[in-house]
Amino acid sequence: MALSANKRRKVEHSSPGEDDAASFASFGEEDGQDGVPGEGTELDGRDSAHDGNALDEDESDDEDEAGEVEAEEAPSLPSVAAKMLRKTQSRDARAKAAKTALDSGGGLYTAGTFKSNLFKLQVDELLEQIRPRRGKREEAAEQALHALKRTIDKAPARGSFSVDEAERQLLMSSKVAVPFPSPKPPKDAKYKLQYAKPANSNVVGSFALKTATREKGSLAVDMTVTMPSSLFQDKDYLNHRYFYKRAYYLACIAAALKAAHSSEYDLRFEDLHGDQLKPVLVVTPAQPAGHEVEAKPTPKWMVKIIPCVSADLFPQDKLLPDRNCIRPSAEAKAEPTPLYNSSLRADMLMPSYLKLIHNAASTSSAFCDACLLGSTWLRQRGLGSNIAVGGFGNFEWSALIALLLQGGGPGGKPLLSEGYSSYQLFKATLQILAMRNMSKQGLMVGHADGDTKLVPNGAPVVWDGPRGHNVLYKVTPWTYIQLRQEAKTTITTLGDQLFDGFEATFITRVDSPLLRYDHVLELPASVVKSANVVLFDVLKRGLGDRVIQVAILPPLTQSWLPGSARPTIMCQAAIKVGFVVNPDNVNRTVDHGPGAESKVEAASFRKFWGEKAELRRFKDGSILESLIWSPSDSGKTVLEQIVRYLLGRHFGEDAEQGAELIGDGFSRMISQGSTMAAFQPQMEAYKQLETDVRGLEGLPLSVRQLLPADAQLRYASSQPPLGGKGRQRPMPADVTIQFEGSARWPDDLVAIQRTKIAFLLKLSEQLQEATDSVTARIGLENQNRDILNQAYLEISYESGAAFRMRIHHDREQTLLERQLKDKLVGPSAKEAAAVGLAAYKRDYIKAPAHTHAIARLCSRHPALSGTIRLTKKWFASHLLANHVADEVVELIAARTFVQPWPWQAPSSVQAGFLRTLHWLSRWDWRAEPLIVDLSGSGELKQPDVQAIQTSFEAWRKLDPSMNRTVLFAASNVDPEGTTWTDGRPAKVIAGRMTALAKAACAEVEGKQLGLEAAGLFASPLNDYDFILHIDPTLSGGRKRKNAANGTTFKNLELAILDDSSLVGFDPISSFLTELEELFGSAILLFSGGLERPVITGLWSPQTAVRSWKVNLAYSTIPTKAPKAEDVQAEINKEAILSEIARLGGNMVERIEVNR
Amino acid sequence: MVPMPSKSPVATSVNDFTALPLRLTSTTSFPKQTAHYLYLRANTPKLPTEDTPREVFLVNVPVDATETHLRSLFADQLGGARVESVAFEGARVGKGITAPVAPAKKGKKRKRGPTDEGEEVAEEVGQLPEVWDREMHASGGTATVTFVDKASAELARKRARKAVKEGSKITWGLGVDDRVPPLGLARYQAHHKLQYPDPATLQHSVDAFMSAFSAAETTRTKSLTRQRSIPDADGFITVTRGGRTGPAREEEVKAQGEELKKRDKTRVKEDFYRFQVREKRKAEQQDLVKGYEEDRRRVEEMRRRRGRVRPE
Repeated sequence: MALSANKRRKVEHSSPGEDDAASFASFGEEDGQDGVPGEGTELDGRDSAHDGNALDEDESDDEDEAGEVEAEEAPSLPSVAAKMLRKTQSRDARAKAAKTALDSGGGLYTAGTFKSNLFKLQVDELLEQIRPRRGKREEAAEQALHALKRTIDKAPARGSFSVDEAERQLLMSSKVAVPFPSPKPPKDAKYKLQYAKPANSNVVGSFALKTATREKGSLAVDMTVTMPSSLFQDKDYLNHRYFYKRAYYLACIAAALKAAHSSEYDLRFEDLHGDQLKPVLVVTPAQPAGHEVEAKPTPKWMVKIIPCVSADLFPQDKLLPDRNCIRPSAEAKAEPTPLYNSSLRADMLMPSYLKLIHNAASTSSAFCDACLLGSTWLRQRGLGSNIAVGGFGNFEWSALIALLLQGGGPGGKPLLSEGYSSYQLFKATLQILAMRNMSKQGLMVGHADGDTKLVPNGAPVVWDGPRGHNVLYKVTPWTYIQLRQEAKTTITTLGDQLFDGFEATFITRVDSPLLRYDHVLELPASVVKSANVVLFDVLKRGLGDRVIQVAILPPLTQSWLPGSARPTIMCQAAIKVGFVVNPDNVNRTVDHGPGAESKVEAASFRKFWGEKAELRRFKDGSILESLIWSPSDSGKTVLEQIVRYLLGRHFGEDAEQGAELIGDGFSRMISQGSTMAAFQPQMEAYKQLETDVRGLEGLPLSVRQLLPADAQLRYASSQPPLGGKGRQRPMPADVTIQFEGSARWPDDLVAIQRTKIAFLLKLSEQLQEATDSVTARIGLENQNRDILNQAYLEISYESGAAFRMRIHHDREQTLLERQLKDKLVGPSAKEAAAVGLAAYKRDYIKAPAHTHAIARLCSRHPALSGTIRLTKKWFASHLLANHVADEVVELIAARTFVQPWPWQAPSSVQAGFLRTLHWLSRWDWRAEPLIVDLSGSGELKQPDVQAIQTSFEAWRKLDPSMNRTVLFAASNVDPEGTTWTDGRPAKVIAGRMTALAKAACAEVEGKQLGLEAAGLFASPLNDYDFILHIDPTLSGGRKRKNAANGTTFKNLELAILDDSSLVGFDPISSFLTELEELFGSAILLFSGGLERPVITGLWSPQTAVRSWKVNLAYSTIPTKAPKAEDVQAEINKEAILSEIARLGGNMVERIEVNR
Repeated sequence: MVPMPSKSPVATSVNDFTALPLRLTSTTSFPKQTAHYLYLRANTPKLPTEDTPREVFLVNVPVDATETHLRSLFADQLGGARVESVAFEGARVGKGITAPVAPAKKGKKRKRGPTDEGEEVAEEVGQLPEVWDREMHASGGTATVTFVDKASAELARKRARKAVKEGSKITWGLGVDDRVPPLGLARYQAHHKLQYPDPATLQHSVDAFMSAFSAAETTRTKSLTRQRSIPDADGFITVTRGGRTGPAREEEVKAQGEELKKRDKTRVKEDFYRFQVREKRKAEQQDLVKGYEEDRRRVEEMRRRRGRVRPE
């Protein structure tokens, strides 16, 4: 296909008349391959000749085309029409060819070149959407380009003035202030500023190369204006002289444009990519009143006019990164000025890079697409050419690919091949970015003459030998770390065989600081007087291994009107610093510095830390410089203490005062802290229980295994099991016990349950005999279903830990299955068997496996436990706790950790929680199952995922209206997917969950750093039809105990009963369960568990007025309209509420009726 | 979505039912006087028994109704008809409104239909202790009240009709509060207490159940053996389960079968013959094509659902 494209282009270019007509404007053509970048008309000639011809030589013979452009701005209509027609035809043909290629051998064709068919198809569609098209915007922009070019060329030359004169004269005559970079030129400068007609003007950049993605924002077109070499002197590269002249030149253009077009276009100055040395002129259509030439809805576009110079103006070797070009005034040492040098060099090389990229686009057919993919990828990660957002943008991306297509490998071989598909180019480039540390070892492309020294401070180097330029000169060290991190993450995402990483790679926006970083520091920009690099170095050194990543987000520079002076960075602008912490180290309270013997290091340590550094003697005898911080739980976190101290020491009081650190508001929401320490007593008690039970000798059968099956035993219960102070009534944790097999069990389900009771009685007796600190008693459950488990053994220790032990007998499954298959049993018995089987699998197989998996994952990811508990709290706060099973919430939260794409696994509760909500708001549960690999190590295999997907589709086919299964949550330990979601939540609940998550995400997006953690947990009650306010003393046992020994409370009986008999007593949930049983068909009930002492309800829409009948499952009023025939039944809401009030008795404080 | 109450007047009767309004007294949490409508008529089951004439069928029984409540209602407020017993409708199966009404809960002392002899024995002796001191009934449920005689039943119905006509005030739960276990927190406390019965009682119940169960089991085996060994009147011997000693379990047989199949498969290696390789390759290719089609369908589906693929 590439070949045919080439041919076609040649054919087309052989009709020079036509192409000349479109010469300057041809960059707007629809077609990727044959648009000629705006080298003017002369490119046509060269283009047909250049195949195979190296473009590396610097050409600057563009003088001839200026006139032509003017002449041929209005191509004759017929020729354009003909051309368009031809183009559409050929495009169609090509598309068809592509389609057939895919249709025939599509599956095999994409096997190697893309990740998967699904991925390829999505990428194709994405490209189709973002590929530039010729629309109204483009046409308007082109029209403007012609007009601008005309005006610029007509502008009169301005004689040479001294700096002062020049500035004054421009200001007087046309109210344009020269945008001199700082420092301002000295008044007594010897050199003269002048303006002459530009050598040529070109359209460059992604618009010309068709690598600009189509976006909703404005269309940006870069236009270079080459300043004639005659304006400059040999030594102008020194001491900003070039930049002063450039600024003057730009101001002259601005003056000319202002005079000619001030009614049509708005003009503003802006720093090119935030580089204050290089202001550019931005032309946008005039906003307030539309001009008659333009279409009524003003197409949004902007043209950046960038002055540049020819590549041979200054000698290359003077501008190498290790040279000094700003001579210090005094006798100071001349430091290299890499940024200045490269910035100047970049101006010289603009046409050259245009050629390089165009060449790459013509030799590699997938180059443009790879650039489009790259630019989308960068955009979603908030990276761009502007120095403030990293200095790695579209240009750097395409230049990097173009260079790597030429060299960079061992022995100067190209690292990328022209035959790669767009995806391969994209992925390979990311791979190189991720794997190669270019700040340690620069990437050399082409013959690098001499040894190019690296830029200090960990900035990366991609040295373009032939052009003598570091392509990544703008990239800051922190951005480079971030870029590599992102590239690594994406490579991992793309390598994940199980899940389609398309969305994470190209669709999701990843730049929200709250989601991206664990902590964000915000401080006024004015306090950081020195460069951001210093801030970065101080924070990086000070925080050491507590953080994985420090990223600085300086405020963006503003554009300004030509008449006004360049704005200084505003005081209210804020620098943001994002931290990604290492959860293992972040809360360490003692830092060891160098030993006292190593004098130099110790001195530097002391210099850095000031009086905070102490010399201490440690237990192992070593005497070290050290830092002591107070523990995180006391007020400020260690991170905050350190950051504030560092700011105060290195940037002054103001910085310390003005700084604001956001990030631990969420972990404070969790009762008793986000660490897993609160679970330790329960875990120990469980171990004790296991030892105790295994130690029993007189049991009829020996114990095979004891397995935990409760949220409290997997660090995941929203309330920690045993609080230290102010502890509440312990809730027993479920445990299963399995005995060795025996043939003496009865072969009947009911009898098995009774035998279990006998076993438990024996166990209880022996346990109490053997251990003193244990009380055990048998509790009954499932009274109405005699094939379900009938009893459990409740074991409480003196420490307060309590367990409920149920016997797992594997013969039950066989019997239940047999009963299900048996043709002789009736439907109700079958249904009972189905319920029994589900309960058996859930309680004895899935729950222990799930518990094990989550507990293991929690110990691997320290932030997971907190995230799960916070997410549970969120569900409970929004009164969804009784609808969404704990296990489902755990799976949702764990997903954020094992499939973190497009981020890395979160290292703080805040990031974990917010990303969980972010995913939840986007989860389309109608069409996507939730599949989590809880092993975290790839135990879930491709066929398993396939099988889960298939079973999900089967469920949806079986139950398309989602009456039974709405959410589908599977994991590697539970491939069935409906264990925790069978029957609930209902569709309306799942919809509410998504809506709430969306609202929360909108809040996060809207408030950004001003986000209040508690705000996400507040939920108004007026959405519900009625609200039962429960006596708050019932939900928190501790309140009752603390307050005056319970004597002031009406429920005195409770205080009288001793504590151990009340283990597991939870009247609210009993009440809720009973309400659901009694009124389930008329009311949808919501409860917040212990989080909020309310139960709310919505009347079911099924209770609408209908004709009366006997079997309505709710209380009714018989009504008869005066003339109606039959009696209607209307729900008797008040009677129902009265019943609820009677049932709840003193537990319900107040019933509030909204509707 | 919530039905708004219409302002139509309340009907006094529906079909053959009398709609008897019961005044509900206000409570502290819901200080509002409201009425509950109890529907009653003579019981007309499909299969009438000899008790049918003295029964009254109630619909929309309040959830907290007890036998005491209904006794008191008829005795004190509806002409003094004396109730012999009350049978409440059992737990419903499922949540649907039109779901079939299941038979009464097990464990009731009420007489149940004839079931398997052995089970019946076990049922009666091996009861587990009750865990609620007061059962609740699903909203809108039914009950059958059996009066002492036919006259009482008729009296009750007549007085109900009259009460409706005259609009006399009949209060639900008048004067029974002291005679029934309390509701609210106290009930849940009692439930919590009853959930943990005395181990001795429990042991006794389990022992009784198990001995009854094994007795039933023995009887059953014996009868089966007898059937097997004694020809019936026509000289045929009934074929029954459990004839052989130590028969193989069903699952074991199945597992053995699977094993055998697997062995069959590995006997001739899958790539032994050329045609096998060819077919395998063909199948792979087909899978690829099918996978591709599948993926395309999914992308198509995704587009339909989410609209065009656009970066956010």
